[in-house]
Amino acid sequence: MKFLCGIETEFGLLIRDPEVKGASMIRQEELFRKVRDHLFRKKGSGLIDLHQRAYDEPPGNGGFLRNGGRLYVDMGHVEYAAPECGAILDLVAMDRAGDLLLTEALEELGLSGEVSFIKNNIDHQTLATFGSHENYSVPRSFPFNERGLDPLVVFLATRQIFAGAGRVGASYVNDVILPFPGESPAVSYQISQRADYVVNTFYQWVQMNRSIVNTRDEPLADPLQFRRIHLLLGDSNMSQFALGLKVGTTRLVLGLIERGESPQISLADPVATVRGLSHDLSMEWVVELSDGKTIGAVEIQEQFYEAAEKAFRGESDDTDWVLDSWREMLADLSKKDPALVADRVDWAQKLVLLNDFSREAGVGWEDPWMESLDLAYHDTNPATGLFYPLEEEGVHRRLVSPSAIRQALRDGPVGTRAQGRSLAIRKILDNPQIFDYIIQWFGVQVDEGEILYMLDPYRSYRQEVEEYFSRLSREKGPGKAGD
Amino acid sequence: MTGANRTAGAGVSEGRIHGALGLEDQDRVPLPTRKGGGPDAPAPKNLDPKPIRDRMIDRMKKVDPKQSERYRQRTGE
Repeated sequence: MKFLCGIETEFGLLIRDPEVKGASMIRQEELFRKVRDHLFRKKGSGLIDLHQRAYDEPPGNGGFLRNGGRLYVDMGHVEYAAPECGAILDLVAMDRAGDLLLTEALEELGLSGEVSFIKNNIDHQTLATFGSHENYSVPRSFPFNERGLDPLVVFLATRQIFAGAGRVGASYVNDVILPFPGESPAVSYQISQRADYVVNTFYQWVQMNRSIVNTRDEPLADPLQFRRIHLLLGDSNMSQFALGLKVGTTRLVLGLIERGESPQISLADPVATVRGLSHDLSMEWVVELSDGKTIGAVEIQEQFYEAAEKAFRGESDDTDWVLDSWREMLADLSKKDPALVADRVDWAQKLVLLNDFSREAGVGWEDPWMESLDLAYHDTNPATGLFYPLEEEGVHRRLVSPSAIRQALRDGPVGTRAQGRSLAIRKILDNPQIFDYIIQWFGVQVDEGEILYMLDPYRSYRQEVEEYFSRLSREKGPGKAGD
Repeated sequence: MTGANRTAGAGVSEGRIHGALGLEDQDRVPLPTRKGGGPDAPAPKNLDPKPIRDRMIDRMKKVDPKQSERYRQRTGE
């Protein structure tokens, strides 16, 4: 089974100056433009778009980065899309490279004292939400129907027990759309940031009526061979371990579904399950299935784990790492003590921190300070954020080193088309005689010439890129080669 | 760039980076496993959890209690 995954992260921006409160949205947009222009026009971090990519992406709105990923302004957020990765460590490094890119840009602009990028998915004031989207490449033959999607929904609804990023409070904004039975009780803390905003099991749009499985069919690759599974319900993880386990387990479950070897179970009410699990800090996590039986979320995950163990053990070291870590995680979660998984799970790590603070400082959960600490956990500035010291001290496990994350700013991941894209970007950046280019996820074009299509995301296209620029050099002179 | 040159933690030297960009598509250095003291279980630099806990409490006390009131975002995707 091949692994190919990418993550898109929409960042929030915290402006510390209290005087800016009333005009914060305008100030945010100004700052986004400053950061983008600094990175693309001064620092040379990538190639700014010269063409209109979509109705809401005019020229100059963003661009592709040296690592083959992408940075742009989208719906009032700076969004970083990591390049397609073929290994879990690559994805983790590329994801964290986005944090580093933005944090360093603020430092270089002298703004890090004034603002921070926040890698979370909610604010506590306006009930806004913004995403961390996962993309998985699967074969076109993937059963994108009831047989395939029922078990996927079950897995996704329950994986938050280790993948959730945790949040203070709750949002009942979507109860206007979809009333839930019973009341809307006060929630001090819950395990997922996005759970309250999911109102559909399946839907194609991304900004309203968010769903557990997004049904948009936009493969950004050869549509006859590939489908891109696009997921909106996940949280932005600070934890490298949680991110690695989240994407690793999800890919294994997609693989089980491809092979027809997934547990065949379905939920009575998937949307209510997502919310109910998130609000249940007892860690009992009882779920109702469509046949009326009840079962624990940990048991459901164990069923998926056992099927994956049987199907994929020994296939690769990545796969074995996922299986070992998944098994250990479920065993620890079954003991119903958040502290046991706080070194690997964001919601548990944050809960332990906030509980410590609450006891030590005598601050109750209803105090807005707790919301502020919730944000601080996701602050990507190492000087002010709460998460990075835990990782630095070895309290929270990490998968990749700081030097590897820095390298991921510069080099694309090996063995996917992002490698070829990264190479092409470098060649264009290094050649001041190239003024006209189009970079897309699925291809490259220079000077309105031949288009180099990259329709197979599992190929590096390194050789093709070299040949492409060699031809360019022969046709237009050595300076065009990008060498 | 490969997985192995990004490993962190006990027994993994950051200086040992093996020809990342020279690898062919099929070459991939494997993700170390926890059995081998792999990257997901780094030895804590500080073996006594108390000091880090205290430092985290201090850091949390420095967080502006009102900052969440100023954090107002547009809804995204």
